[in-house]
Amino acid sequence: MAARVVVIGLASDFGCQVQMTNIEDDLLDVLGTIDLVYWQLAASGHMPEEYDVAIVEGAVTTDAHVETLKRVRETASVVIALGACAATGGIPALGATGDLEAHYGCVYGQDAAQVACGRITPMAIDSVIGVDYVVPGCPIDTEEFLVVLSRALLGLKSRVPAEPMCAICKTKENVCFFERGELCLGVITRTGCGARCITLGRPCTGCRGVAPEANLDSAIALLAEKGITAERLFERARLYNTLEEALDR
Amino acid sequence: MLMSASAYRELQANPYRPWPARITSIMDLTEHEKLFELRIIDNEVREAFKFDSGQFVELSIFGVGEAPISISSAPSKQGFIELCVRNAGDVTGALHRKQCGDVVGLRGPFGRGFPFSEMKGHDVLLVAGGLGIAPLKSLINHIHDDRHDFGKVTILYGARNPDEVLFRYQFDMWKHRDDFDLKLTVDEADDTWTDGVGRVTGLFEELDIDPSVTYGAICGPPVMYRYVIDEMREKKMDVDKIYVSFERRMKCGIGKCGHCGVGHQYACVDGPVFNYWEAMNLQEAI
Amino acid sequence: MFFRVMDKERVPELVSGLSESFELFGPVAKGEKFVLDRIEDPAELRLDFDTTLLPPKKLFFPPEDQMMRFRVADNEVLDDEVFAAPRMIFGLHPCDINALMLMDNVFTGDYEDPYYTARRASTMIVGVSCVPTESCFCNAWGTDEVHWGFDVFLTDIGDRYFVSVHSVKGAELLDQHVVTREITDEDTAAFQERTRAFKSSFTEELDTAQLPLLLDAKFDDKLWDELGERCLSCGACSMVCPTCYCFDVKDRLAADGKTGVRVRTWDSCQFSEFAEVAHGDNFRASRASRVKYRYYHKQWGYLSKFERVLCVGCGRCAKACLAGISPREVVKALEKGGEC
Repeated sequence: MAARVVVIGLASDFGCQVQMTNIEDDLLDVLGTIDLVYWQLAASGHMPEEYDVAIVEGAVTTDAHVETLKRVRETASVVIALGACAATGGIPALGATGDLEAHYGCVYGQDAAQVACGRITPMAIDSVIGVDYVVPGCPIDTEEFLVVLSRALLGLKSRVPAEPMCAICKTKENVCFFERGELCLGVITRTGCGARCITLGRPCTGCRGVAPEANLDSAIALLAEKGITAERLFERARLYNTLEEALDR
Repeated sequence: MLMSASAYRELQANPYRPWPARITSIMDLTEHEKLFELRIIDNEVREAFKFDSGQFVELSIFGVGEAPISISSAPSKQGFIELCVRNAGDVTGALHRKQCGDVVGLRGPFGRGFPFSEMKGHDVLLVAGGLGIAPLKSLINHIHDDRHDFGKVTILYGARNPDEVLFRYQFDMWKHRDDFDLKLTVDEADDTWTDGVGRVTGLFEELDIDPSVTYGAICGPPVMYRYVIDEMREKKMDVDKIYVSFERRMKCGIGKCGHCGVGHQYACVDGPVFNYWEAMNLQEAI
Repeated sequence: MFFRVMDKERVPELVSGLSESFELFGPVAKGEKFVLDRIEDPAELRLDFDTTLLPPKKLFFPPEDQMMRFRVADNEVLDDEVFAAPRMIFGLHPCDINALMLMDNVFTGDYEDPYYTARRASTMIVGVSCVPTESCFCNAWGTDEVHWGFDVFLTDIGDRYFVSVHSVKGAELLDQHVVTREITDEDTAAFQERTRAFKSSFTEELDTAQLPLLLDAKFDDKLWDELGERCLSCGACSMVCPTCYCFDVKDRLAADGKTGVRVRTWDSCQFSEFAEVAHGDNFRASRASRVKYRYYHKQWGYLSKFERVLCVGCGRCAKACLAGISPREVVKALEKGGEC
């Protein structure tokens, strides 16, 4: 029996769900292997009572999100965090520092009170429930999504790459941004996207999270030699990694 | 006669291409380990498939990957191989979900096994810890099938607890034989356990061996080697008569992918069995 | 081997001629750097290149290489053929030609690697002499010279090339596509003079005495801990290395899950999982042990089998390492003691 899959969104711009539609050629094949019982982006109905795999996009920013996640965890045997917001808190987590109410006020002005009720400090979904698989990135890489989904369906172990992305970047024969004195977060950011942005000519912004195997001390030291301060590195890295403890220094 | 690399090449131009093999028997050994009997489907290949105890195969499940597994059956039994497999990773997990009759892939046999013909005519002391019994069981059964060519045969086997003792059905039978000196031990005993309790090294105390005619073979978790070798050296066994089998990460099994480096050697082609003199000279080995 | 002389201005006509019968590759500019790429127009070929970002291994052992296609249901191989079109690489420096010969040792032998060897057999090589850059240390290993492993080698002697012709095919192609002339005493003298000038233009003579033994003797040296603290665990060194051959193997399923491809991808011994086994033991868990292993294998592991070190002194890893770890400095620290 095909696995019953739901796709739901918490606090996000739905970009990763849209990215799923960009799988295009392969999407119908994928849909042939699963029983997609609910896709929030495309559905107007309600979540079904039972399902096997929950793909969760977005960060947790309200009490309702917490409740939703708990229900999801009780129902699904597999939970996949989809995208930076779900995986690391992503952009919504920028609101996790400072005065939360002030942030809402700044963005929504007088309407702030009506924007969302029961709001809480933003967090990644693994702060609320256990997560089995992660597809990091803003937005997700569709190829990686397919690999993770198939691993989940086959019951294989989660394999989120631990190293920074310089190696794959080298295989693309990109000229290193540091050689031009520009800051690129690839040196501390989790590999797995094929160094896509760098290959397109933009430095890495760290959307895939800090690589567990990154050597931050050494990175800070070498950047200093190139005239790039640790403050600049952290400021840039926090855009997607506000909640990353490794950057609390 | 072992299948040589050139014989392999004649049967299979691409050494990365697995041979289809059928699972012909599955036996539950413990909560985490099963014994699989596999038969290569192609008659010519199955007949050419000759191996030494201590050699391994690459088990291939397409869509999941490959994993190196040492052969547990004896070379004296031909036409099939047995693999004692712990459900530990993706490939072994997928194998555990397979049914009798399913087809998987096999490459091999690869690596250097135990020097069986050199051991002949001598006493042997075999020491296994946990899953380390898997390759040693091949050697034990081979010796069993050639018993008159060997002197005293001593087997020491340690596991964490009685539930994790592998091949217990076979050892329970052998305990009553006087041509095998079999000693079992567990770290934590339960009510059913009547054998030893404690580390496998504890079994050396009461051991009476003649070091001048004894070959040793060791396989177990990485932490075990140092202690067992110390005991064997204490008994004055020669460094080049003690054989150890190492487990390392492997992808190719044929000396290309680089994963199984141990010191300046590769476990897949230079090992996985080394004698202790060689192993002493391999950095990071023990 | 026989020798001819070819005027430099004849290179474009030779290249044009060759590109009719081969997929022609050679050094072309990428920004201020160079890469080995298809030559469509002879004007793109830059024989004045210093080094290429990736070494020629990418053309024989691509960063991602399909090994076979398979079907899941019955675990069957659908196809493991290697398609290797006739190719020529025009413009490899001696270090990179030597590197390919070191790779050959690994991918041939008892179990021949069909993917690498098929591409190697279908690829002709035209070497070209170089001028040592600051980061070159090929002179330390004798890989500044190359005596075989090419079809034709062009040594720059001013307005002309001293052409060493090694293969029959190379000789035929020269005959077919370009005008060369016999060498004169003057040409040979110029060749010798160029070689002397080349040899004396290296910035230093690296002391490599007893390096394998030193690696064992200093296996526990604090040097490795210091390097481990600096290493970024990024693996860039392995990717750009012309002799690093380690690979990972992965199965990729098609979207319908029914078929898939088994691919191999470049791997690095600097990655944390490189020596980790399924149930968790990691034989090189620390960065220091991984940095050390790279040197240990290159300068001793490989040597113990093939009597050569697995380094050609191209300097790519030193340039790629943001943390500034350079084999030249590591060797100096091993030989003389102290930090690097």
